Amino acid sequence: MSGLIPRFPCARPLSFRKSRDGAVTLVFFTSLIVIFFVYAQAFAGAPEREKAAQLLKSAAKFNGEGETDRAIAAVEEAIILTPDQAEAREQLGTLLLKKKLFDDASRAFNEALKINPNMRSAKTGIGLALIGKGDLAGAEAALKNALTLNPYPAMTHYALGLLYQKMNNDEKALLHFKEGLRTYKEGKK
Amino acid sequence: MKTTGILGGFYKKATLALLTSLIFLIISGAYTSGASALLQTGSQAPDFALRDLDGKEVALSHYSQQKAVVIFFWATWSANSPKALKRFENFRKKYKDRGIEIIAVNADNQAVSSGDVEKIRDLVKSAGVTFPVLIDRGLQTFRDYEVIALPSTVVVVEGKISYVLPGFPLVATEELFDYLSTLAGDKPVSKTDGGYKPKHDAIADANLAKGFVRKEKFALAYPLYKKAIEKDPKYMLPYVELSRLYCLEGRLQDAEETLRGALKVEPEHPAVVSELGNVLIKEKKIKEAIELLAKVVKEESYTPAVYYYAYALSQDGLLGEAFAVFEKAIRLNPFDPAIYKLRGEVLENNRMTKEAIADYKKSLELLMKYRD
Repeated sequence: MSGLIPRFPCARPLSFRKSRDGAVTLVFFTSLIVIFFVYAQAFAGAPEREKAAQLLKSAAKFNGEGETDRAIAAVEEAIILTPDQAEAREQLGTLLLKKKLFDDASRAFNEALKINPNMRSAKTGIGLALIGKGDLAGAEAALKNALTLNPYPAMTHYALGLLYQKMNNDEKALLHFKEGLRTYKEGKK
Repeated sequence: MKTTGILGGFYKKATLALLTSLIFLIISGAYTSGASALLQTGSQAPDFALRDLDGKEVALSHYSQQKAVVIFFWATWSANSPKALKRFENFRKKYKDRGIEIIAVNADNQAVSSGDVEKIRDLVKSAGVTFPVLIDRGLQTFRDYEVIALPSTVVVVEGKISYVLPGFPLVATEELFDYLSTLAGDKPVSKTDGGYKPKHDAIADANLAKGFVRKEKFALAYPLYKKAIEKDPKYMLPYVELSRLYCLEGRLQDAEETLRGALKVEPEHPAVVSELGNVLIKEKKIKEAIELLAKVVKEESYTPAVYYYAYALSQDGLLGEAFAVFEKAIRLNPFDPAIYKLRGEVLENNRMTKEAIADYKKSLELLMKYRD
């Protein structure tokens, strides 16, 4: 057996240090150690991640059932377990928006963006929070920025529709709601 | 580098496993997606676990030993619901212990307050209902079953959907109860197609095709839909899906021909008639669409037929009538985003911008709320 499986050094002890086989063996074992550490790290938080995922699922269910407070509690618990998950923080922001806690929602979305600076939904969330706070110019800037991240974001078009409705700009409101419907239909949210 | 020996074998096995998993994923994904209501016959009934009025959890799987389970979707605001609840209660009394269970699933709204629960309780009490009444908070079950009108009835036999009745229309309701009493052991009063089960390989082909459509691999989907039709010409779903695919690619004439082919097999199938009406509207054959859809709207509570009819009327200049018919569609299923989208278009074309904005917004909200 040659090629991919390196020969074990014991097979030729005298020539081991000087031979090409020695170098191959060194690379092979170093790779094994690296792979071991990568996997160890990946699996270190596995039970927490699993539990957090379950909590987020429950939160979505509670939210669907109109139990926003229970949903928030579940998401907060998930964040404690996996503080590095942007999705959980984004979910928290969305729930806080629903409770009209716009400052807290903004904070949650910003934390999500610290973890994942390209998270379009968090940018849209910040825009929605700004609409809620009455900062329409700020919201417009945030939402237009969110739009540049993905050319087919139904939710961002929805938020822009809301914004222009508040600004009494019917033409733009109509355009964005329609665009939201079109992009949603295409399945490219 | 040739991958022979142990590693070569490993790669082969891994590739095989990956392919098997992919095929499984494609098939299972397609199966779980569900079809349009009325076209669902033969597909697996989605399981659910909902709470009753006293907070006790009831799951569809609890009734797996029964001959059949009737799932009745209803709402307090729907005029036909109390009537239907009473009818099901009478059926239950008559056919007690014959293995037919009835479950009522209330779909009043996404969020249900304690006041709403009391309203539901009062109505259930006045109808004398003794079977479980569950509340679909979040409307997940309503969405899973792709209910298109309230009330709607779905009959599940051996875990599969065997009968779907949108609304509570006179003749079709009698056929439903004939079917149920036949399941309970009575001799059939009239011939119903409730026992029809599409052929397995036709379902498999149609589901695979749907998977390809989702991935925008249309060229692969066409032959599979056609094969499904060949394998089971009575199976209406592939005709409808194939026609939608033709429409997506602008092949309206092909879509029309496909649906007319389906109507040769099932001349009055509401889902097929509605879809053909929609194609005719797209082809600007408005008068023909109106004539076709008017019959279905008169006899059936099939919501898409109602809103396509409304849209066709608007295209024929009959605005007042069109808006009245749109209202009828909303009464049947206020959660259908297509109604608001189409009405929005009509409003926009008639320069009622503010109203159009409200409808488009509502449509998008419904899509995002129910599909996310």
